Amino acid sequence: MPLTDADLVARVLVHDDHHAFAELVRNHQSAIRGLLRQLTRNDLALADDLAQETFLRAYRHLSSFRGEAKFSTWLYRIAYNCFREDARKRKELVGIDETMLEAQEDPQVTDPALKHDLMHALSLLPLHERSAILLCCQNGLSHDEAARVLDIPLGTVKTNVLRGREKLKKTLAAWGPA
Amino acid sequence: MDEELHEDWLDARLREEAAYIDDAGFTAQLMQKVPARRTTRTSLRGAVLLGITMLACVITYLASDGGHFLVSAVQTLAAMPLWILFVVATFCAVVVTVGAASAAYLQVRDRS
Repeated sequence: MPLTDADLVARVLVHDDHHAFAELVRNHQSAIRGLLRQLTRNDLALADDLAQETFLRAYRHLSSFRGEAKFSTWLYRIAYNCFREDARKRKELVGIDETMLEAQEDPQVTDPALKHDLMHALSLLPLHERSAILLCCQNGLSHDEAARVLDIPLGTVKTNVLRGREKLKKTLAAWGPA
Repeated sequence: MDEELHEDWLDARLREEAAYIDDAGFTAQLMQKVPARRTTRTSLRGAVLLGITMLACVITYLASDGGHFLVSAVQTLAAMPLWILFVVATFCAVVVTVGAASAAYLQVRDRS
């Protein structure tokens, strides 16, 4: 019978079992790397660096995981924090305009030929809407879980999902169901 | 109806984009960076702290004429007016509370 996340966490904490931690990484690497790829607008190298930092941070602070939320939700929160910290650092180093992180270009004025590309449409959303859409619609988190990950009120998550959806629907209208 | 159909279509497309990402050596590479066992280091740290504390206690006892300074301090405190004792106790309570609150805040911040 496969071990649950809680069993594996307990093994790491009690015996410092590296095999158990490797199992946790294998179970969750796809979801965490996928989320970070979307957040970094498909910068694969950066996403994998952030994913490594996420898991290393999770290992260091594993004793603070109290099992109140799902392990995956806890990991998503660490990954999102890693992404935000990195974005802030890079902004300081190369002077990235805050608008690049928070409010991207208007989807209405982009090349219509790219509209069919959902990845591109996602990348056009402001960060707060993109994060909410990725967590709730793509990764299947409840609004409540997404609120914990993003550390924002539940109502704000619902609003961001709704607005993000509306924008995606507009951008992808021609490719929707007839 | 159209609205729901469009949302289902959108959700389906989003989930398709979240296709499984092959490990491709990611876990192996990560595990090389995971720190080595911490249990021995933790027990060693505890032993060192305990040893140093006991040594400090012995040195203090010998250097203070068998702990006579404690008796003197208690006698001095007993001779103080009540309001001074109250001020000293309040000050100590505030210092301990601020320290504990700071430690709690730092721990919560590290977890988030």
